[in-house]
Amino acid sequence: MSTASDLVGVAVNGLFARKVRTMLLLLGPVIGVAAIVAAVGLTDSAKGDLKRKVDQLGTNLIEASAASSFGGQDAKLPKDAVERAKTVKTVESVASVLEMQNIVVTPYAEAAEKFETVPVPVLAADSVLPSVLEVPLVSGRWLNEFDEGARSRAAVIGVGLAREFNVLPGEVRSVLLNGLEYSVVGILDRVELEPAFDNAVFVTFNRAADDFLTDAALDGDAVLANKLYVRSAQNRESDTAQALKVAVNLGGPNEVQTELKSEALELAAQSDRQLQLIVVSMGLLAIIVGGIGIANVMSISVIQRSTEIGIRRALGHTRGIIAAQFILEAIAVGFFGGLLGVAVGVAAIGVGVAVAGWVFTLQPMLVPMGVVLAMVISVVAGLYPATRAARLEPLETLRLG
Amino acid sequence: MDDTPVDMPAPLLELESVSRLYGQGDAAVAALLDVSLCIMPGDFMSIMGPSGSGKSTMLGLLGCLDVPTSGVIRVGGIDVTELDDDDRSRVRGERIGFVFQQFHLIPHLDAVSNVETALLYRGIRPKERRERSMASLDQVGLAHRHDHRPVQLSGGEQQRVALARALVTQPSIVLGDEPTGALDSKNAEHVMEIFASLQSSERAIVLVTHDPAVGEAAHRRVRMRDGAIVADERAARA
Repeated sequence: MSTASDLVGVAVNGLFARKVRTMLLLLGPVIGVAAIVAAVGLTDSAKGDLKRKVDQLGTNLIEASAASSFGGQDAKLPKDAVERAKTVKTVESVASVLEMQNIVVTPYAEAAEKFETVPVPVLAADSVLPSVLEVPLVSGRWLNEFDEGARSRAAVIGVGLAREFNVLPGEVRSVLLNGLEYSVVGILDRVELEPAFDNAVFVTFNRAADDFLTDAALDGDAVLANKLYVRSAQNRESDTAQALKVAVNLGGPNEVQTELKSEALELAAQSDRQLQLIVVSMGLLAIIVGGIGIANVMSISVIQRSTEIGIRRALGHTRGIIAAQFILEAIAVGFFGGLLGVAVGVAAIGVGVAVAGWVFTLQPMLVPMGVVLAMVISVVAGLYPATRAARLEPLETLRLG
Repeated sequence: MDDTPVDMPAPLLELESVSRLYGQGDAAVAALLDVSLCIMPGDFMSIMGPSGSGKSTMLGLLGCLDVPTSGVIRVGGIDVTELDDDDRSRVRGERIGFVFQQFHLIPHLDAVSNVETALLYRGIRPKERRERSMASLDQVGLAHRHDHRPVQLSGGEQQRVALARALVTQPSIVLGDEPTGALDSKNAEHVMEIFASLQSSERAIVLVTHDPAVGEAAHRRVRMRDGAIVADERAARA
């Protein structure tokens, strides 16, 4: 142990005694590690807001919709689709909707001319839709069981449509659906995973049946939905989506299609791997060139210090001790160069993030990886000069007689 | 024969029929040829001779920096020609202290750190190392300049630091290679005084030189010529 601590002392002393040379040695690892950390960090940070959004929204929202095998219109889900979906064990919650066609939405009768050509999606939705989507209401309330039972002409509109129709917060308003007046009871906030809901109008199933649907859309008294929104257990999205196809269809005439709502977003949030690879390769190159620099500077140093090495050998230090001293200097250069490189890299990310308005993202593993990489390169670079130093004959360097 | 003590002390260093050849085959040149020498405790020895007489080769062998082509060298009874490089380094570190003509201090270390270098890798705690080094510097009268680096010291002072470094390990043999060769006469005198004061019954001092003044200061004077010892005289002690 004391030999090790003596070695560390000698190495640290040697590095501090020759500051310019030490700076030169540090340059390679610092630039290399900084380049790698900055490359990964900046490409990650560029997509940082999207990554954060994915984290916020969760990746476990599945859309299951009815699809006709023959590409026919108006495919419907079975009437007990919600109950069927809930038989899948990894399903946590289910909401059903019916997307309806050809309904003209206008803010008031006089504006019909202006708005009738603007397509506005109108959906019948059940009372749990906002909780399944995990989206709050900007104002008012969602459609409830009373609205459903009383078959009232109540509607919730998306926040985008509310803006379009100039609905003021708290204002008592109504909208006309095919000329029928529905009172607006609430405004739904933006649904990141279903942007179309921004401009949509939601009504109850029963009122929709009374006002807009033909018998084809019904099964007895029940209104048939054509789409389910399902939350699955975390990390079981794919299994759940597969199971839903079977569980909801149960051999019925219409196929069920499923889609992971976050998939597109996740794809968008992925860092630019190719760019990352190119810049990381350049960083690796820099660190290797830095390693060659270390080998160079240390080789010259061995020549410059040949007398010192001879003295130490005359004082009884073994070849191994001399070699270890040089290796240890290389390790120290790698360690501190790596740390400094990480710091510079993080600073570069910070500057990039501040300038471009990204979200600071740093994979924590980069810190130890950067330092270890710098140390490995430095030690490999130090091997040759260390061997040369150990091989020096004291008799030749001391010039006796 | 009658002045030989009954319990004659063991020699500190013995050369037994030592030859050192450079080159191979017919081109081989003998720097030392069949030399025997016995260095005893208490010896204050000078090895003198003209250039090419084999002094430097002798110094390398005495200091365990080199191994002979043939013959045996025993340091404290250990045959160092049988040892590997590491073990020979350890013997060198423990038993031999060097003083060089060019001082050979490590330039980036201050005086006391230079002295401490001789005590590294021996399992000695830093505190003890520092104390022993300071004591050694004190012995050569330079304790007050312990934090000066070699460039801040005069030649004489540097050589005294080198002496302190040679002494700090309490070696049985102090080997000087022209120790006054790079000094003015006043400093040379001072250094020789220190050498003289180092004499003890357990230690031997061996100075390789071609300076007659240095040679005459020694009590045992070995002369070399053409790779052989031609004289080994003892001066009457003052």
